[in-house]
Amino acid sequence: MSGAADKGIGAPLPRKEDYRFLTGQGRYLDDVAVPGALHAHFVRSPHAHARIVGIDVAAARKAPGVVAVVTGRELAEWTTPLRMAPPIEGLQPVEMATLPTDKVRFVGDPVACIVARDRYLAEDAAELVEVAYEPLTPVPDVARALAPGAPLVDETLASNLVSHQAFTAGDPARRFAEAAAVVEASFHQHRQTHAPIETRGCCAVWDAGRAHLTLHIGSQVPHPLRTTLARRLRLAESQVTVISPDIGGGFGQKIALYREELTVAALARALKRPVRWREDRGENLLAASHAREDSARTRVAVDRDGRILALELEIVEDFGAYCFYPANYLARVVAMILTGPYRVSDYAFSVKVALTNKCGNGPMRAPMAITSWIMEGTIEAIARRLGLDPVEVRRTNMLRASELPYAMPTGEVLEDVTPRETLEHALAAFDLAGFRARQREDRARGIHRGLGICCVVESTTYGSAFYKAAGIAGSGHEAGWVKIEPSGAVNASVGLMASGQGYETAFAQVVGDVLSVDPGAVRIHLGNTDTAPYGMGSRGARGGTAGGSVLFLAAQALRDKVLAIAAALLGLNSSGELRLAEAKVQRRLGGEWTETGLSLADIAHVAYLDPLRLPQGMEPGLEAHKAYDPPPMTYSNATHLCEAVVDVRTGGVRLARYLVVEDCGTVLNQQIVTGQQHGAIAMGIGGVLLEEVVYDEDGQNRSGSFADYLLATAVEIPPIEVISRHTPNRRTPTGSKGMAEGGVMGAIGAVMSAVNDALAPFGVVAERQPLTPPYIRSLLRGKV
Amino acid sequence: MSESVPIVLRVNGEEHRLLVEPRRLLSDVLREDCGLTGTHVGCEHGVCGACTVLFDGRPARSCLLYAVQAQGHEVTTIEAVAAEGRLSAVQQALHEAHGLQCGFCTPGIVITMEAWLAENPNPSEAEIREALSGNLCRCTGYHNIVAAIAKAAARRAGSAA
Ligand code: FES
Ligand code: FES
Repeated sequence: MSGAADKGIGAPLPRKEDYRFLTGQGRYLDDVAVPGALHAHFVRSPHAHARIVGIDVAAARKAPGVVAVVTGRELAEWTTPLRMAPPIEGLQPVEMATLPTDKVRFVGDPVACIVARDRYLAEDAAELVEVAYEPLTPVPDVARALAPGAPLVDETLASNLVSHQAFTAGDPARRFAEAAAVVEASFHQHRQTHAPIETRGCCAVWDAGRAHLTLHIGSQVPHPLRTTLARRLRLAESQVTVISPDIGGGFGQKIALYREELTVAALARALKRPVRWREDRGENLLAASHAREDSARTRVAVDRDGRILALELEIVEDFGAYCFYPANYLARVVAMILTGPYRVSDYAFSVKVALTNKCGNGPMRAPMAITSWIMEGTIEAIARRLGLDPVEVRRTNMLRASELPYAMPTGEVLEDVTPRETLEHALAAFDLAGFRARQREDRARGIHRGLGICCVVESTTYGSAFYKAAGIAGSGHEAGWVKIEPSGAVNASVGLMASGQGYETAFAQVVGDVLSVDPGAVRIHLGNTDTAPYGMGSRGARGGTAGGSVLFLAAQALRDKVLAIAAALLGLNSSGELRLAEAKVQRRLGGEWTETGLSLADIAHVAYLDPLRLPQGMEPGLEAHKAYDPPPMTYSNATHLCEAVVDVRTGGVRLARYLVVEDCGTVLNQQIVTGQQHGAIAMGIGGVLLEEVVYDEDGQNRSGSFADYLLATAVEIPPIEVISRHTPNRRTPTGSKGMAEGGVMGAIGAVMSAVNDALAPFGVVAERQPLTPPYIRSLLRGKV
Repeated sequence: MSESVPIVLRVNGEEHRLLVEPRRLLSDVLREDCGLTGTHVGCEHGVCGACTVLFDGRPARSCLLYAVQAQGHEVTTIEAVAAEGRLSAVQQALHEAHGLQCGFCTPGIVITMEAWLAENPNPSEAEIREALSGNLCRCTGYHNIVAAIAKAAARRAGSAA
């Protein structure tokens, strides 16, 4: 690529967005000043499951500063319910009112909304709302949800089993009959939540004169949000603008249109006054969105060398009370890509999803987080059973470069991945032999070290074809535009929205690289649906590949137009011997690149302001709009190694070392990629060791503050060594693959594997998360 | 609702004459009445550290203080740190080492660590991690923040010498 090579694609440029954040000039939702805005506050259910007998809002309406108090009754007139009924086999259609009128389904379920002059007054008035409940038997877990005669979380369904899919490839039954051994393993991942440091919030402004709604909201997906918002308010999409300011972390929590946000928008319209809402931390932990909580069992048929002949997976997810997403969406992906880097042809899965009286689930950084742990844990179970080295069992089953592209048993095609290379490189970098010697010596002294290994194949960028094949509703395309303005200044936009990923820098590098301008001079505009093109937004690990690619293509189209204009101005028949370098047009003469005297700004001036000099038939202006649908799926891969020390007396776990070797294709900015890797790994580590949403037997949530829901601090997270071994994807325009979630998958698997390695002398295996000291001690009871 | 009372807040060397309800948090008054939105609110219960300001020169959580308690004290917020447009040592190092992603925790970290480095000019990595443990960051995994603080410490030592 030409031009500003040291600042182009791949350069580890410090971020353009940093200055405003470092100096307190970021603009997050609460920093957006809207004169005269009223404040909303929600009254929430204290019960896990209860019939709403009546709501008396009379006293609250009379409280000081209160402008309105509404319940589900008003919202049912102002909005339409959310119907979740994609045509997916085995998935039950469900419908959700904007605010419930019949019953509440979890602690924190919103039942009324107060609008007052300020937030303090709204909270005061909430105390005056009298809700009469008739408690119902709660459904606190999957076992009870699926028991015969269980109370129904959603009374329109025949059972709490909201989704069930099964699949078979090959002939697993036959392979099991032929096997030298059949090994079983089980895995339980607990409930967690995204906990961005900025909670949810929004501010709705209804312009009655124009009949137009503007919703300021930190949203990862401004356009899909606009579509849903307009539909549910019965407005045309042209009557709604969604503007996302800076977002203080999303991690998947800021995708859906939540009931509170829709309520606030409906209230602004009904009251004809701006209304804003900011949830507090307790609400965020209790009632925003939860994630994970799945249990899996594998059965695997192997030959004497540990070669996998067939694999079966059963996975059950506790989805909580409401479906903001198709219930099959998260667990289904786990089953689709479970086999990852391994050679498996005979495979069967069953994926069940149950409703319970908990906050509803949604995708959280690595919706398929448990995948690598299940697969790697299964490999380790094979090694334990057959008395083999777990590294050897991995090598035996791992795909070789010569076997790629490889069709996984689910039909997904794995290509341009390097699992063996990252595994071998990681083992060498870690000094496996040296570690084993240290481990032996230390064991003799009562220090229990373990080495964890996790080989990750991360599904990164979902193309439309994957969604279709997986039976998930959605499109995988992304859209972008690039404009060179009359002065030569460059603006660009894409449908994604950043919440820390540094798009303003990385995408400026992409556009700058193609147009040979300094990325500092390329402005990336995000988050405003009136400016940005309709894209599917930021989710999964699609930013770099879906967003980076579409801007790359748009910039290329624009560069071609620039060079075509230059050729005409220079009196050449073609632009074949022209290029852009440092925002100037150069021409190859006798093998040498020489200046033509034309700059990008000269061309821009002609394109906009002197269009009669353009080649015949060419339209004035310099802008390119593109949409891009990525391949069905791109995959990144990595090997994570983690050294843990388990204190067998206290059950405490300390991480002594963490190393990852990654291949995520062409990277746009290595510094940003490494930062994403760190953050994902930390989220995985914190999830395994500390974080837990705890519900008791009655469905009460016991983790409503940061004193109970523990996020990892700088003390628990070890230094993280990241080694890059990138190889390009041959099917994406820049060679990028995408990344940002695999770190969570790898950390979960690597920490579990390390702790189990440390516990091996005691003959016990940890099969549950979180790895709390009491849990580890319970495994060791009577053995230490 | 309680009666509003007149107070004088000294923030970043400037006097603000305000009428506030005694129950209003310092964090809210700084953000809403003084217009200093660089102080962020992440939990309102003293755990996350996003709301950290200097209170008479020492880091304090503005979500655990009432605005009326700040009368007669000197409050310093993130807006005063790079007042002349030049980033502080910690800010500059965070930028170079990519020690921030979404940026929401960043002002609290800058305030906390600038004050801490002034008293601990020569910290070890473990000490930095310990000092940082009162500030939650959900994005970065802390690795680059720790590296940045070490870099800032080295630079401060260099420029002091
Ligand atoms: S907002 Fe003050 S510590 Fe979290
Ligand atoms: S950078 Fe997002 S919370 Fe720290």
